[in-house]
Amino acid sequence: MSEIATKSPPEAPERAPSPKPRRDALWWVRKALWLVVLLVALALPLYLEAEWLKAGQYMMVGAVGAIGLTLLTGQAGQLSLAHAFFLLAGATAYTVLSGPTGDPELLGFGLDPLLALLGAVAISAVLGLAFAPVAGRLRGIYLGVASLSLVFLGLYFGQAAENLTGGTSTGRPPAEFSLFGFPFSNEGDLEILGVPIRETERVWYLFLALTVIAFLLARGAVGGRVGRAWRAVRDNEPAAAVMGVSVWRAKAGAFAVSSAYAGLAGVMTVLWFDLLKPDESEFGTYGINVSIAYLAMIIIGGLGSVPGALVGALLVNGLPQVLALYSTELGWSTGTGEHAFTPILISSFVYGAAIILVVLFEPGGLAAIGRRIAGRLSGKQRERNGS
Amino acid sequence: METFVQLVVNGLGKGAVFALLALGFVIIFKATEVVNFAHGSLVLFGGYLVVTLRDSIGWAGAAIVGVVGAGLLALVVERLLLSRSKLADPFSLALLTIGVDVIVTEEIVRRLGVSLPFIGDAWDAKPIQVGGITLFRTHLVALVVATVLITLFFLAFRYSNWGIAMRAQAENKEAAALVGIRSGRVTATAWLVAGLLAGVAVLFIATQDFSGAGLSRGTHSIALAAFPAAILGGLDSTAGAVAGGITVGLVDALATHYVSFAFAKSAVFLVMLVVLVVRPSGLFGTRETTRV
Amino acid sequence: MTVPELSVRDVTLRFGGLYALDDVSLTVEPGSLHALIGPNGAGKSSCFNVISGLYRANEGTVTFGDHDLTRTRPHRLARMGIGRSFQNAALSPHSTVLDNVMLGRFALTHGGFLSCGLRLPWTRREERKHAERAAEICDFLGIGAELHAPVGSLPYGAVKRVDLARALAVEPSLLLLDEPAAGTNAAETAELASTIHDIRDELGISILLVEHDMGLVMGIADRVTVLDFGRVIADGPPADVQADPEVVRAYLGSENAEAG
Repeated sequence: MSEIATKSPPEAPERAPSPKPRRDALWWVRKALWLVVLLVALALPLYLEAEWLKAGQYMMVGAVGAIGLTLLTGQAGQLSLAHAFFLLAGATAYTVLSGPTGDPELLGFGLDPLLALLGAVAISAVLGLAFAPVAGRLRGIYLGVASLSLVFLGLYFGQAAENLTGGTSTGRPPAEFSLFGFPFSNEGDLEILGVPIRETERVWYLFLALTVIAFLLARGAVGGRVGRAWRAVRDNEPAAAVMGVSVWRAKAGAFAVSSAYAGLAGVMTVLWFDLLKPDESEFGTYGINVSIAYLAMIIIGGLGSVPGALVGALLVNGLPQVLALYSTELGWSTGTGEHAFTPILISSFVYGAAIILVVLFEPGGLAAIGRRIAGRLSGKQRERNGS
Repeated sequence: METFVQLVVNGLGKGAVFALLALGFVIIFKATEVVNFAHGSLVLFGGYLVVTLRDSIGWAGAAIVGVVGAGLLALVVERLLLSRSKLADPFSLALLTIGVDVIVTEEIVRRLGVSLPFIGDAWDAKPIQVGGITLFRTHLVALVVATVLITLFFLAFRYSNWGIAMRAQAENKEAAALVGIRSGRVTATAWLVAGLLAGVAVLFIATQDFSGAGLSRGTHSIALAAFPAAILGGLDSTAGAVAGGITVGLVDALATHYVSFAFAKSAVFLVMLVVLVVRPSGLFGTRETTRV
Repeated sequence: MTVPELSVRDVTLRFGGLYALDDVSLTVEPGSLHALIGPNGAGKSSCFNVISGLYRANEGTVTFGDHDLTRTRPHRLARMGIGRSFQNAALSPHSTVLDNVMLGRFALTHGGFLSCGLRLPWTRREERKHAERAAEICDFLGIGAELHAPVGSLPYGAVKRVDLARALAVEPSLLLLDEPAAGTNAAETAELASTIHDIRDELGISILLVEHDMGLVMGIADRVTVLDFGRVIADGPPADVQADPEVVRAYLGSENAEAG
């Protein structure tokens, strides 16, 4: 094919094409900020008490799950309320794969925990793929409610299959994680700068590593060919198809990726709780409340924004933890009795209100606010540069 | 055979209640294309008013206040929040109702604390025998009340000015506005009616006969079954809502008896899933297509 | 490269009992600029949607060289070298111009979630190479200064050009343009006409154009097919078609009457 760029129309402006993103001062500021965040996260276990680290871990669990959901719902436009189901699937798969063999009551494969983790992620992805034929046929709210059925079916089977999950009454403890023989427990003496690195600190670093991987993969995918196909399918299916995107495959892929993320978050949940329990009580970890909490994270953060999902998770999963810690520290009447304003309750109010405010006043969520601030800063900077 | 007849009658009674809820969803959806995720909290709110007021003003008075209260809450949500955000698309507004649902539900559950009051004193837990068949009175009353209300609704939908305006708006919003239909009023009325129906439904849900549990978080999750009811009927079809409600009631009753109580809720969603795979817009819904 | 011939043969499309297309045949000769015109509701867009695989014809065939398009799923078309623009532009308003145009490169590039996510060297190289090409195309169409602007922030004339750029990014040998001038002003339309003409001359590809604007069509088309009520009522060079009394009655007549 001949080159069409040989001739340029009269109105073309005198400007060299620069398809690369601008690497101005703001770009460097942004990179530096991420680096600071990462360094702080690395240093925190040296300063924080175990309870606070536990709270931070739960935020990271939320972050991984929310990133997965924002890819599916925000980028690919597929409303899903099934996230809790895939969390349960991942948690169960990890516990079963890594569980000890030979127990007559509980099925276990005795796999190495790392393999079990990878297996759990893969199984969740396959389950997501299995739902794809249904998802491919449905749109919008129909898909949302259809996906809700997975949560109910999952809880039912989770409760019925006691040899996998241990049932609702007792639950089942997961195998503790270990990486090439290094245990994520209190075993062995390990110190950094005189601070003993015990189970909580080790799990913190494990979760941090998983969150960073999840974050970077998602950013790369969103910026690349895959993310482009997802957005095209979200915004106009016929146009996406004509441009060569198989709509069906793009949707199925988004479901598989999102389920894999949820599965990983499920593995993290079960490691965090130290117990697998397929219940849906107020403190349930896999009920519809959880699906809604994840949806809240990505709405608050801004649908489709990966950093937004991170911030949303800090708020939705972090607030109840932090409130609980503060209330004990400050000696508030801690909410445990009847009619009490428990930390979970207050956080629910906060994120319920946050959803309403975001939809009413800033549909782009916190991500849009962030972009606007960045835009204003870079605008000022360009003025200063005199261009 | 007698068990089966008994199950069908009880299933119809349950189905009638789900039909009331599903009809509410559908009315709101037709008027605004918004799916109201806060429907369960309307149910809880109505029920909460009944249980707090019945000792002071009597059951009947409390029931009326509860029904009206649920309607008014729906109206307030629409006027205060949804009507203010004209720019937001129906999808975002559906998300907004999730926020409303979380707040209202959590607050009512907190207020209820550990008390799980039953509502249907007037008729609850007094089964009657008709030839060797045991029938729950709650289901019979629900069936009668729902039949009357649904008939009234269809008459109003067909013949009243509101019904005509509402159908016109559902067909074509711009055209309806051009011929002078006040979209705001139609929408507000739709929410009010949906809220009233939710308020009636709770009188039957939080009973010994219907769920074996009093007003609680569980009531909210039972109300959630109105979702599959509305969806499998087709979100934009009022007749579909009734058919969907009945289907859900029957599936629930049969699955509870023949499999287990725990399975019943999943069974309802399973049936919905199967229907959606065959008919992606529900039994009576219209297919949406993307124009290019 | 050789440009295949597009041949629409005896295509009938029904919606229920309604005939959107009734036994329609037309041939787009390789390298020609072919226009499809007709009054509103004549079936032009339906014909387009059958060609690009979005609608399935009830009867008849559409072939592009050796490919039978009536048996092809729409996402295969880009790989065969068919690019298409849309009446309503059908872009992602929140994404940048470059991102939208890069979608046109989808069939020419590779990589799934992991290779994109890991930013493997070959993925980044490929991305950069194709982004440069996309930028060239944008420059050619006069939107090179807006590469990083969200499409939603552009004026409508520029939005239509982004749509055109995306269709060209497929590197098509057949370009289907669905009312490229719809909603643009007279000056923009004139510019667009010369751009379309340039595209054909520079690339030597076939262009099938659905258009309302008669001035634009008669000025640049090699051949014109006229549809009315789903039937072909005329087919030939612009001058012949313009003189055809049936066309005047069905289309130009009513148009003139409206204008008058």
